[in-house]
Amino acid sequence: MLQRKRARLAYFLVLPAMVLVVLLNLVPLIQGVIVSMQNQNLIRPNPEAFVGFKHYIRALTLDDEFWQSFARSVWFTVASVTGAYVLSLGLALLLNLDIRARGLFRAVFLIPWVIPDVVTALLWKWFYSDQWGFANFALLKLGVIQIPIQWLSDPSIAMISVIVVQIWKLYPIMTVVLLAALQGVPKELIEAAKIDGANAVQRFVNVTFNFLRPTSMIIVLLGCIWTFQSFDIIYLLTGGGPADATQTLPTMVYVKAFWSSQLGYASAIGVLILLTLLFLGSVNLGLERMFNRRSDGNG
Amino acid sequence: MADLSAPHRAARAGWNPRRTWAMVLTYATLCIAVCVILFPVFWMFSSSFKGQTELFARDMTLLPVQWTWENYKNVWFNTPFPRYFWNSFYIATITTIITVTFAIYAAYAIARIKFRGRFLIGMVLLVTQMFPHVTLVLPLFLLMRDLGLFDTHAALIIANVAFALPFAVWMLRGFFMSIPAELEDAAAVDGAGLLTTLHWVIVPLAGPGIAAVAMFTFIRSWNEFLFALVLLQSQSLRTLPLGLASFQEEYTYRWDLMMAGGAIIALPVLFFFLLMQRFIVQGLLGGALKG
Repeated sequence: MLQRKRARLAYFLVLPAMVLVVLLNLVPLIQGVIVSMQNQNLIRPNPEAFVGFKHYIRALTLDDEFWQSFARSVWFTVASVTGAYVLSLGLALLLNLDIRARGLFRAVFLIPWVIPDVVTALLWKWFYSDQWGFANFALLKLGVIQIPIQWLSDPSIAMISVIVVQIWKLYPIMTVVLLAALQGVPKELIEAAKIDGANAVQRFVNVTFNFLRPTSMIIVLLGCIWTFQSFDIIYLLTGGGPADATQTLPTMVYVKAFWSSQLGYASAIGVLILLTLLFLGSVNLGLERMFNRRSDGNG
Repeated sequence: MADLSAPHRAARAGWNPRRTWAMVLTYATLCIAVCVILFPVFWMFSSSFKGQTELFARDMTLLPVQWTWENYKNVWFNTPFPRYFWNSFYIATITTIITVTFAIYAAYAIARIKFRGRFLIGMVLLVTQMFPHVTLVLPLFLLMRDLGLFDTHAALIIANVAFALPFAVWMLRGFFMSIPAELEDAAAVDGAGLLTTLHWVIVPLAGPGIAAVAMFTFIRSWNEFLFALVLLQSQSLRTLPLGLASFQEEYTYRWDLMMAGGAIIALPVLFFFLLMQRFIVQGLLGGALKG
């Protein structure tokens, strides 16, 4: 009786939050799918006419721009997440050594994560500036280059410059999570491996990294999900330019929707982004299951 | 075990040159990493105190030769910056109050009461956090337009609350679960109802956790850019991120204004973060990743 009363109260407590979450997440999601099959265009009449999979067919088969942006998104994501993971693993291993002021270092390394995206974009833009940026100043002074590099306006360099900023944004959270995981690695196991004659590299690969693997998979997956859909940094640094060199799917959605007024087409691309992420998530789940089964077999 | 740890401890107590060098190397690497990684941020702050001529000079110095507050004065008194600041401040405050209030009740129910659908709700909270905002922003724009809320702060507050809630609930749930259940049982024996217990026992005990969630929500709303970009149009309604981004077109090449403006936006966030970082990190680890 009491149990049932408590349960009823629970629904009552959860309801307001869940109504808001569902109304503003799931409803727009469904509406997005609907819009992606409509004629929606801010400058054309008859927005609600049903056009079926027209926009999807256009994206997947007719529009080269879609696949080019898709490829850039993949490259941007893979490079950023790999870079951030390697950097954060190195930092986490250093911070896990027997040092003082670990908390202070951890807090300082987290700073790029709390800096607002808009500020991040602007301060890097200033740093990258062709004429007045520190990057070019320092490289010219050191004699590494003779003429200033156009970090954000040279199509062959812009993407790399943007990836550096994304790594800068992404590594802090990975460091914190990896450090927490490292601190959970039993010290006795490492000592035991040492006594068995394993060198530092062997100890890392066979003991430490084994413990880090589940955590690593989660943060790499989350990193991919965040980076693949990230909009602010690229939009503010380059707007997708120069000459589309940094146009990824998220900036393409924005450009198609609000510069070309093609809401239906933009929604279809938005849904394709979501599908890509769902695919990524399910592949990861599959991998995890595979690893678990294998370690079960061993144990 | 004792055999193992005794020599280890002895080595630790005595001076060991190899160990000392390893330590020096570790600290040196960490300090260099900090300097390299945070340099662009340092450069923003340093630039924000440089005068126009120094800012665009051929030769650069790490710190201003002549420190000046001119850029801060200019951005505050000669641009609509104060207006943007106020907009951001009150939008973030209202967002935080609503989010935290809703989250406390929901998180408590999920953490402490067994009811049907609890697992499903947990899944919804986790999955919605993964939804790409670029996918949601277009239908949300249409929805707000149809509701007559386009170009209002209400639209932005609703969106901010909706997207902050899943994480806030999840993070608070972690904090609530770490409070020993015996305390609640004791309150129940004394005849306190569930809500009374929540208000007078749980909330005070979870104070730091709630503060961390509030701070997190505030920072998120303060930093938010995409929804403001799509849902707002009037200049007078702009938030700080939107306002600063628009400086790029309205004050082209006024890097003095942009650096001072960027510093003003980043400072409160940095201050509160460094103040609360222990709890925020704890909440992140417990809430987001351990589930």
